[in-house]
Amino acid sequence: MRENYQKLEEEYSRWKGESQQWPERDGIFRTDSGIPINQLYTPLDVKDLDYLEDIGFPGFPPYTRGIYPNMYRGKFWTIRMFSGFGTPEETNQRWRLLYEEGETGFSAAADNLTTLALDPDMFPGIEAEVGKEGVPIYSIRGMEALVEGLPIDRISVALVVTPMAGPAITTTYFNVARKRGIAKETLIGTTQGDLLTTCCAIIPWGAVDPQHMLKLACDLIEYCIPMKEAPRWNPVNFTTYNYREGGIDAVQEIAMGLANAVAHIDELLSRGWKIDDFVHRLAFHLSAHRDFFEEIAKYRAARKLWYRLLRERYRPENPRAYQFRFHVQTAGSSLTAQQPMLNIIRTAYQALEAVLGGCQSLHTNSYDEAICLPSEEAVTLAVRTQEILQEETGVANVIDPLAGSYYVEALTKELEERIWDYFLKIEEAGGVAEALSSGWLFGQMAEAFHKRRRDQESGAEKVVGVNCYVKEEEEPPPAFRINPRAAEIELERLEKLRRERDNARVRSLLDELRRVCEQNQNVLPVVSQLTAAGATLGEITDVYREIWGLWDLPIVA
Amino acid sequence: MDRKIRVLLFKPGLDGHWRGIITVSKALSEAGMETIFAGFKNLEGMVETALQEDVDVIGFSVHSGAHLEWARAVVEALEKEGCRDDFLLLIGGVFPQEDHQPLKEIGIDGVFGPGTPTSAIVEFIHSELASRSHKK
Repeated sequence: MRENYQKLEEEYSRWKGESQQWPERDGIFRTDSGIPINQLYTPLDVKDLDYLEDIGFPGFPPYTRGIYPNMYRGKFWTIRMFSGFGTPEETNQRWRLLYEEGETGFSAAADNLTTLALDPDMFPGIEAEVGKEGVPIYSIRGMEALVEGLPIDRISVALVVTPMAGPAITTTYFNVARKRGIAKETLIGTTQGDLLTTCCAIIPWGAVDPQHMLKLACDLIEYCIPMKEAPRWNPVNFTTYNYREGGIDAVQEIAMGLANAVAHIDELLSRGWKIDDFVHRLAFHLSAHRDFFEEIAKYRAARKLWYRLLRERYRPENPRAYQFRFHVQTAGSSLTAQQPMLNIIRTAYQALEAVLGGCQSLHTNSYDEAICLPSEEAVTLAVRTQEILQEETGVANVIDPLAGSYYVEALTKELEERIWDYFLKIEEAGGVAEALSSGWLFGQMAEAFHKRRRDQESGAEKVVGVNCYVKEEEEPPPAFRINPRAAEIELERLEKLRRERDNARVRSLLDELRRVCEQNQNVLPVVSQLTAAGATLGEITDVYREIWGLWDLPIVA
Repeated sequence: MDRKIRVLLFKPGLDGHWRGIITVSKALSEAGMETIFAGFKNLEGMVETALQEDVDVIGFSVHSGAHLEWARAVVEALEKEGCRDDFLLLIGGVFPQEDHQPLKEIGIDGVFGPGTPTSAIVEFIHSELASRSHKK
């Protein structure tokens, strides 16, 4: 496009003068992260951008337009639904349903015990959590039942846990695959194992301190990638989605994700590995929130910033390392228990953001998730939401269709700068491990909680059905119920396992793990033997607790 | 001068979703109450803290779906020490509307589901405590 900027500026002033004569409706014209929004964007807003330098071509630096040259013209994003409840057998049935309905990747939502790496019989009362928030996987027996009959040689599986559980759960999965004749070297999938989720988003019960959690997360990366035990596995997933759910904004979300990645990279470099030994397998999991254009600009800015960060600091040689690969989940915190059918609409818009932003895989929330875990009907609708995007709307027929939008490009640039500034702020706070230990990050999260509440209660942040367009009398949808026998079934499964396994071998391997922890070696090789031998999650992670101690969280309400 | 209303807030069990309870804690202190956030508490420890701190209100949140189980356990722990009636007992979190009544039957005084404005919790505490002191 040829532009005469002088003429443009004159015409812009003329339009501005005219527009100001017209009254403006009440409203807050800022993005969700607080960037002021002009009435109109023109070539003047992007005149400092250099196409090749700032935007470029998909599959080429700085990757603003996407990480692959062909994006969705090659293949659609993966439909990956985060799912799990009750018992492994019941979750397996749900996964089969999702697969039949068109899901193309699995993702295990684990229950609280599994996520935190505890056994249900470790102390009284906690059996109440069995299967409630996800699938219970306390040992190799549970994992076998979960993936029974599913084509895990072809379809990737995401294991969503904490760094405490990461080594045990991942090797459990590898050992199940091996029993089915699938070598771990060929397995595709992801372990979430995100340090900041464990600390900032969900405060952990029974966790070791952040430095040791970082060690565990890096042990898993080291084992899979530089040690080449599972070179196609994504051994970590920086889950900025979860931090965002606390109420922080798009700028903080990406900045925290980058800072988290840097902590892991620096730890692995300090172990003597080279950047090219592992960095190409680091992946991310982002949110798709309320502000449509800001979220799309966020994905574009995040890709560019990852490129910039690696180029400026680490300079890997492998071009794939610079590709910011990410899964997206639509924002659970934007859903409402009031008028829950509205959640279908919210989720559809958010899914569109993710697709226009070039995600690699996508989870769409079910409309009943502000109330309970999703019913079959609700989750099928959520899958269909993605299928409509793929098959009916045509949005996936062209790469990065919003590039060149004056607004989206200006916003992408603005976000890039703001994210980088906040990233430097985290570094000033000492990087993520220190910022967790000192309580700085908790303070940032708590500030966000309070700001969102004030904004929602004052009406500055509108929520349809909650603080506007409220319906007095509502018929709530039927709640999906978890199998009340789940705890009993899992306790029996554990008891049977402990009866049947070689307990002397488990004990001697646990001693070996103690030695490994004391000498600060990589825990994975012995944890892998332990999970194969039928040791439970809680037995394994209790060794970490015993050797390193429990973390006393610096939380002030 | 009137003594400030004292509130103990905690998370029973393993559910680490902390946004809700911290949000409520801040809202209650902005409304002039004194709040103590006890983090994760085993139930005996919770009862002990509540008695020691001489609180008027105990609140907890459950987002994991195990709200009925934890509500029962909390009530039992208080009854065991014979102090259930010393406190106004509140629950918040993510649970369906149809569980509100069962939670009340278990013995929870105030049940607050998703989307509750914090002002509703403040009002509930004021009116319940006022009617209780009236009864005394």
